[in-house]
Amino acid sequence: MDARTQEFLEYVQSGGQVETGDWMPDEYRSKLVKFIEMHGNSELMGVLPERDWILRAPTLQRKLALTAKIQDEVGHAQLIYRVVEDLGKPRTACLDDLVSGKAKFHNVFHYPTKTWGDVGVIAWLVDAAAIVSQKALLKCSYAPYARIMKKICWEESFHILHGRDVILAMVTGTQEQFELVQEALDRWWEPLMHFHGNPIPADEDPMFLWRIKSQGNEEARQQFLDGYVPQIRELGLEIPDPALRKDEEKGVWLYTEPDWEKLRAVVTGNGPASQERLAFRRLSREDVAWVERVVLAEAA
Amino acid sequence: MTRDRIELLLSIADDELFLGWRNSEWTGIAPFLEEDVAFSSIAQNEIGHARALYELAAAELGTTADELAFDRKPEEYRCAPLVQLRRLEWARTIARHWLYETADEIRLAALKASDDPEIAGVAAKIDREEAYHRMHAEMWIDRLLASEEGRARLNEAMDELWPYALGVLDDELRPELRRRAQERLGRTLADVEPIPRGVHEAELAELWQEMTAVRRSAPAGSQW
Repeated sequence: MDARTQEFLEYVQSGGQVETGDWMPDEYRSKLVKFIEMHGNSELMGVLPERDWILRAPTLQRKLALTAKIQDEVGHAQLIYRVVEDLGKPRTACLDDLVSGKAKFHNVFHYPTKTWGDVGVIAWLVDAAAIVSQKALLKCSYAPYARIMKKICWEESFHILHGRDVILAMVTGTQEQFELVQEALDRWWEPLMHFHGNPIPADEDPMFLWRIKSQGNEEARQQFLDGYVPQIRELGLEIPDPALRKDEEKGVWLYTEPDWEKLRAVVTGNGPASQERLAFRRLSREDVAWVERVVLAEAA
Repeated sequence: MTRDRIELLLSIADDELFLGWRNSEWTGIAPFLEEDVAFSSIAQNEIGHARALYELAAAELGTTADELAFDRKPEEYRCAPLVQLRRLEWARTIARHWLYETADEIRLAALKASDDPEIAGVAAKIDREEAYHRMHAEMWIDRLLASEEGRARLNEAMDELWPYALGVLDDELRPELRRRAQERLGRTLADVEPIPRGVHEAELAELWQEMTAVRRSAPAGSQW
């Protein structure tokens, strides 16, 4: 590592922040693009599992809330892709890499949504897991990304309230409604445990090294479990892991080791809904390709 | 409350509800992220308008906005066939958007002059938001008309949807819609038979099945 890079590394490790026009090592820039682009892709792909339920929302209030929530996610993708664009990769290139399967998106968006219970579990718990990661990005060494995270975290916190409200209505409803939530939780628990990634020590995580992330994977997962396991149990729901308990002495949650090989398979396009989602996005992009052509021709 | 008044409120509310539902079909898959956001916003506004109108009717009928929106049979909805059509490709989406917003503006102008203060009030409130939908629709008409390909696609879509658009309005308001549409497109539109309110496209029943599926899965009166 040359002296300039070493100095840069020490600067970000001591809490320093970088702006778009500042000098940065190529490796840092490429790590940033990879990380932030995946975040943008995840927001955009995250729209698809929920969008199926926009047409099925059971009350006017839920319809409005769900449409607004999904609209927020698209808005996040828009903001995040702008940050990537400033780093040198245009939005269309990100979308090309997304639909071709070259770029990744978050594990939870590779799964199908089967019932209205999923809508509640996603808005409450998937967004809760996401906000743990996103709050840690408020301290990201790349300042433009840290700044947009304020708006994103603020909106995500509303999604959690919406999700919890959907869940509350169902767990206090009929037995069948309660079971919809329990069944959804049973299916979503493994993806939720995968969400923060394998427990690689923070010091070996390149994203932590450059202070793109400000915490390690296991730290994030522990924070999620600490915040939400008591809330889930309070509603009378059962978490499908008999080993899950808190070691009060050490202050850490113990759980059955998730299958990390499965996580790797899912995020590389082998999840239960990965190919279907990508095919849908490719197809819908082809359907409207002429619009871009017409608008760009006019702008030229 | 007269039967006519309830009929009027439900007709407009059903239009806004179904168009809101149809516009939300673009959430996540519009040609640009900006249009995802725009169509989602418009959808939310339309559904908010439907709710305000259903609430007026529900107060008189002793029911709720949700029950009016979801719990009637498909054949009981009064919406115009224009808003029943499932997600259309982009040129038709823009054509429907412009035609509906223009028809709605003509209808709202008449309602704002109503001597029923509740109806005049809610029409004025709705019109304040619709003004932004109209700006959005106008921008897209400009964009499509600006190129040969866009113009051809838009014209084809307008011709196809024209009889449906006429069906949104009562007889006496139709000439005004024709005048505005012909002026905007710079050409004459065909003299066709309107496809009026009361006609139920197959797509209405299909959408109804989908939009009420979750709600119908629990006994009536369940909380969601």
